[in-house]
Amino acid sequence: MNKISISLNLNGEDRVIDVFPNRRVVDLLREDFKLTSVKEGCSEGECGACTVIFNGDAVTTCCMLAGQADQSTIITLEGLAKNGELDVLQQCFLDEGAVQCGYCTPGMILTAKALLMKNSSPTEEEIKVGMSGNLCRCTGYEKIHAAVKNAVEIYKQKLEQGGESIG
Amino acid sequence: MAKEYSVIGKSKVKVDGLEKVLGTTKFASDYSLPDMLYGRVFRSTVPHATVKKLYLEKARALDGVEAVLDYHDIPGKNRFGIIIKDEPCLVDDKIRRYGDALAVVAAKSPEILEEALALIEVDYDEIEPIFTFERALEADAPIIHGTTNIHQVKHLECGNVDEAFKKCDIIIENVYSTHRLSHMFIEPDAGIAYYDDDGLMTVVASTQNPHYDRNEVASLLGLPYNQVRVIQAATGGAFGGKLDISVQCHCALLTYHTRKPVKMVRSRSESTMVSAKRHPMTIEAKTGATRDGMLMAMEVKICSDTGAYASYGPAVITRAMVHCTGPYSIPNVRADATFVYTNNPMSGAFRGFGVPQVAVCHEGQMNALARKIGMDPVEIRIRNAHQIGSKLTTGQILENSVGFIETLEKAREKAAEVLS
Repeated sequence: MNKISISLNLNGEDRVIDVFPNRRVVDLLREDFKLTSVKEGCSEGECGACTVIFNGDAVTTCCMLAGQADQSTIITLEGLAKNGELDVLQQCFLDEGAVQCGYCTPGMILTAKALLMKNSSPTEEEIKVGMSGNLCRCTGYEKIHAAVKNAVEIYKQKLEQGGESIG
Repeated sequence: MAKEYSVIGKSKVKVDGLEKVLGTTKFASDYSLPDMLYGRVFRSTVPHATVKKLYLEKARALDGVEAVLDYHDIPGKNRFGIIIKDEPCLVDDKIRRYGDALAVVAAKSPEILEEALALIEVDYDEIEPIFTFERALEADAPIIHGTTNIHQVKHLECGNVDEAFKKCDIIIENVYSTHRLSHMFIEPDAGIAYYDDDGLMTVVASTQNPHYDRNEVASLLGLPYNQVRVIQAATGGAFGGKLDISVQCHCALLTYHTRKPVKMVRSRSESTMVSAKRHPMTIEAKTGATRDGMLMAMEVKICSDTGAYASYGPAVITRAMVHCTGPYSIPNVRADATFVYTNNPMSGAFRGFGVPQVAVCHEGQMNALARKIGMDPVEIRIRNAHQIGSKLTTGQILENSVGFIETLEKAREKAAEVLS
């Protein structure tokens, strides 16, 4: 098997890497780029732990091959905090106690981020549907839902004050 | 006036919350060390058999494979288990469940590892597998451990049950069945073993039970306890399912032979296949009461399948029995429980240790009784609820902190509020 060359924008930086075409994106991120916030839970796209933001969408990287990442833009949880300052979603997860064991947390936060990047004022129902691909086995859904709702409000206030947008 | 506390009643940020929202928390599979090998287990694909021959030569000859081990390579004791030591690290006498560990392999890369596992073959002499409680007890059934398939039998009795039933106005009899459940913790079991700078065998693992793990690794390798160290990595959920040994002993054995760090990360299917499950139970219950809803007597028979290995079975059988009346005072109680070994996945600890299973039964009985008498289901519970001074089936007197009646009353108020 010959390696293929992959170019991508990863957490704001342009990166090039040679990998075998059968490498999954979750391994590319965890093993090759050492971005271990990306977690593997089920390996079949069910649990959402390996979610990243891929070209603006929340996707499960355990079901993607490296070739699909060529020419893409990927954001992992490592790329969310800017200059040591937590993203609004990270702060809301922390404040609301929406974190228990922490294994589903990266995927949860990134799924919420992708949702808000597309729809800055989702309804309760839209949040529930948007987050439905991510499983939390400690059953902290109430708090996770509350954290996302709080983040929506804070983003709104920031926008009204002429501050940064969600994306 | 309500008391002011520094923590109680206040919203506090979790001490490990920041690392978790940043994604920098290290779980077992996030550890990497120089010269690290990747380890995996070769498992049985039949539930009950002896091993005629295990073919390890081809895997051993593969370039990049550093160890292929079977039970002959265990320097210490090849048995572990939290209460009863009945589970082998690597099968020696016979296979007792689908997925029993036959060999472990360490290789330089996950790809070589996969190739090596595909080169291992095994010949079995199959034995009739036992999948039901009933079959396990039949005289001609094959024996899974020792001389009987009965894992444990327990009896608990107080008062005079037979006399009390004669005086009851109403008797309710039902059979309840609960099924086997998997914890499905979101982080599959994982760990890494290595010799630290002082030469200590060290295992970092996703576990609930590092002290127990340390003892099992030491016993497996024939080392004194002070030569083994187990560190709990951040653990991605467990719910009782990470109290048993998972990868700790297999990793440590590979490190013992290769002297190199060895990491093992179970796939979801492997984790689900061999981790403990909630005990499935069949509970026959007979409850007697007076016309005005006072409980007089209860008789319970609990049958359960602890699977191929005991795990926490001995704890679950006791807890299920002593909790079989639920939070209700019943003066005359007889409980009998039988747990058997089968070739099913092992049953062990799972939130509540058997108590949730019997709760299905005692609450079902209370509802059935309330219906039969025509009494409000909350009222019948309050009438029989434990309170300070209540005597349990075991003879224990509850001396303080019994909040059941208060809780029921508050719940009733709340429900009325919501429903009005």
